Amino acid sequence: MAMSKTAGKKTWSEAVRDSPVPWLLPLAAVLGVTFLFPVFEIARLSFTDASLVGEDYFYTLESYLDLFRSPYFANMLQATAVFVFASVFLQMLMGFLIALLVDQGAKRGMKTSIVTRTAVLSAWAIPGVIIGIIWSILYEQSAAGILNYALSFVGFGEVPFLSDPQVALASVTLANVWRGTAFSMILLYAGLQTLPDDVMEAAKVDGANAWQRLTRVMLPLLAPMLFINLVIVSIETFNTFDMVLALTGGGPGRSTEIAALSVYNQIFEQFNLGQGAATAVLLVAVNLIMTFVYIRFLERNERVE
Amino acid sequence: MFVNKRRMSRREFLRLGGAGLASAGLFLGSAGCSGGEGTGENEIGWQAIPSYSPQAPDKKRVDYLNQSISGWEESYGEFTIDSLISSSDVTVAMARLLKQANEDRTPDVAQIDSYVFPRFYEYVYPLDGYLEDAGVTDDYFPFIESLMIGDGGAIKGLQFTTDVRVLYYRKDLVSEPPASWEEVLEVGRDLKNEGLAPYLFPAGRDEATVTTSLWPYFWAQDGELVDTAGNPVFGEEENREKMLNCLEFIRECVGSDITPTRITTYLQETDLNADINAGEVGMFLGGNWQVGILKEVTGEEQFTSTWGVAPIPSMEGGDTHATTAGGWIWGIFAGDGAKQRAAVDFLLYTFVGDRGMAGWCNAGGYLPPRQGVFDLSEYQGNEYTETFREHLDKYARNRPASEAYQNISTAMQVAVASVVTDDASPEQALETAVSSVSLQRRD
Repeated sequence: MAMSKTAGKKTWSEAVRDSPVPWLLPLAAVLGVTFLFPVFEIARLSFTDASLVGEDYFYTLESYLDLFRSPYFANMLQATAVFVFASVFLQMLMGFLIALLVDQGAKRGMKTSIVTRTAVLSAWAIPGVIIGIIWSILYEQSAAGILNYALSFVGFGEVPFLSDPQVALASVTLANVWRGTAFSMILLYAGLQTLPDDVMEAAKVDGANAWQRLTRVMLPLLAPMLFINLVIVSIETFNTFDMVLALTGGGPGRSTEIAALSVYNQIFEQFNLGQGAATAVLLVAVNLIMTFVYIRFLERNERVE
Repeated sequence: MFVNKRRMSRREFLRLGGAGLASAGLFLGSAGCSGGEGTGENEIGWQAIPSYSPQAPDKKRVDYLNQSISGWEESYGEFTIDSLISSSDVTVAMARLLKQANEDRTPDVAQIDSYVFPRFYEYVYPLDGYLEDAGVTDDYFPFIESLMIGDGGAIKGLQFTTDVRVLYYRKDLVSEPPASWEEVLEVGRDLKNEGLAPYLFPAGRDEATVTTSLWPYFWAQDGELVDTAGNPVFGEEENREKMLNCLEFIRECVGSDITPTRITTYLQETDLNADINAGEVGMFLGGNWQVGILKEVTGEEQFTSTWGVAPIPSMEGGDTHATTAGGWIWGIFAGDGAKQRAAVDFLLYTFVGDRGMAGWCNAGGYLPPRQGVFDLSEYQGNEYTETFREHLDKYARNRPASEAYQNISTAMQVAVASVVTDDASPEQALETAVSSVSLQRRD
């Protein structure tokens, strides 16, 4: 009671001084200018027929309608779905397996586990455009192609890594998995460090074999980390475009033109700002849903704890 | 030394922070307002793409530009050159420049891709008054001259380089280069037996796929991409038939195994260089600029003794060929008369006059758009220059400057790749392209 009275006597300046608001204002201003305003502009432009090179435009729903009516829309959705689903699944699987190996290696006193972690992480640190170029050299179909040359020794003919539409999508996905596995590995490796040794020991004493310890003890304990990993990697993969741009440019045809690359191509190749913005809004909507799920899961998890 | 150890209060800190933010805002605001031209009264803002600027990776070009700029500044006296660089992505660079022109924020002089130039007619200043004594305007190739002259008959820009697409063929294996599609298939089958990739061309998601591998076939049949008002007509009536002929031929090349499907990974003409250098190619469609690069890679003697150049084969053969020409034009946006005069003088000195055009084309390995420059002793061509000149004179065309062109180009790049990968028949591929372009057209 005494405290509330004291609080009631605070002057305006004291209230401001003790409030966190002034401290948050600079951040809010920066976020407003660099994040909220561009998002608002993209949403506004998506309801116009604006061109990148023209001044005049009208407000219309045609950008969305044209997007849905486009003969390439279904292909873009399909390519994006395959790319994201396969990338996320394989990145998490590979990341988990490598994290498990490094963890087990470290527990057995293996000195090279740090080297392994560093080597895997280096793939994550390389810019997407460089990764695209590296993989395009690997996938080269002419006599200079490294992978095709290596495969010829084990009896394979020329593999159309980037020239067959289906194989090209798989090739792009593989390059993305190579790039993203490190992030999953680091996150899950950190998760493995937090697992209580006594629980794992107890499971062992109770007679659980390695498979049972993995599936019935380790994975349930890692579930929160796996889920966070899933959401972050999914959002990141949805937004990937630099590596694909350097590797295939979206081709052959439009077979590897995933949503984020489609936004770039529509705006900067075809100058269709309105339709590009409409595609970007769809992408933002998907990302917002993913973020919402992520926050809800964290909240539920905190309540359980 | 005295050090003030008084601690800053939170209020002071906030005030300081607020003032800092406000100053930053003002600074950024004023920077935004003064963006665009960014040149002083006695400076000419001269904007080029990176490879045409003093920041080019090629020392020969940089040396030429630096010497020419300082030489001109010294001789002219009144103005200096402020070198500005645009994006290296040509499509993005042109889109930005067009946007700048719309907003009246252009540099004084800018480099413009020749086929887009008509879209700048309303923004650039006529140059006739400054060119009367220069003697440079009467020997341009006719198709280039018509591009430089706007609707009112005034000279709107100065083209200073050009290029052309041709058929390269192995002289040691092909006695007579194929002129018709039928002959391409025939010669191709022979080359296949030699264990070579008989006929390559770019078919990836880039402009080269249409400029080098499609439009020449289409134009040789007198096909038109857009009508006189700039509306797309490439999928209508006779044009549709002509475009289908082209796609059918491309499918036949792949179907008869004279062209591998890996051509969909070639985004630009130079992407073929690795295959050519490996000695695996019998014939390919490429640009004149590849000669310099391939001579360096394979050796001058080796290249010139192996490769011949001929017109891009057409449906009918004979002399019914067509090809795509490109190049760059300088446009002047400065409104001030003295600056315009100085800018024209600089362009003549460095790029457009006899000495300037020969010098820059030598440094960069370009073809001169003025016919007279080919005959100058200063101009150093190569063994193929006369053939390129003939092709420019007889077969070359520019891409249309229509707003719809970008959409047509992208849609047909996809169509070519779909046909090559057998993802769609020529009819389906063309239908999809037409439908995509009609959806994206702004009325």
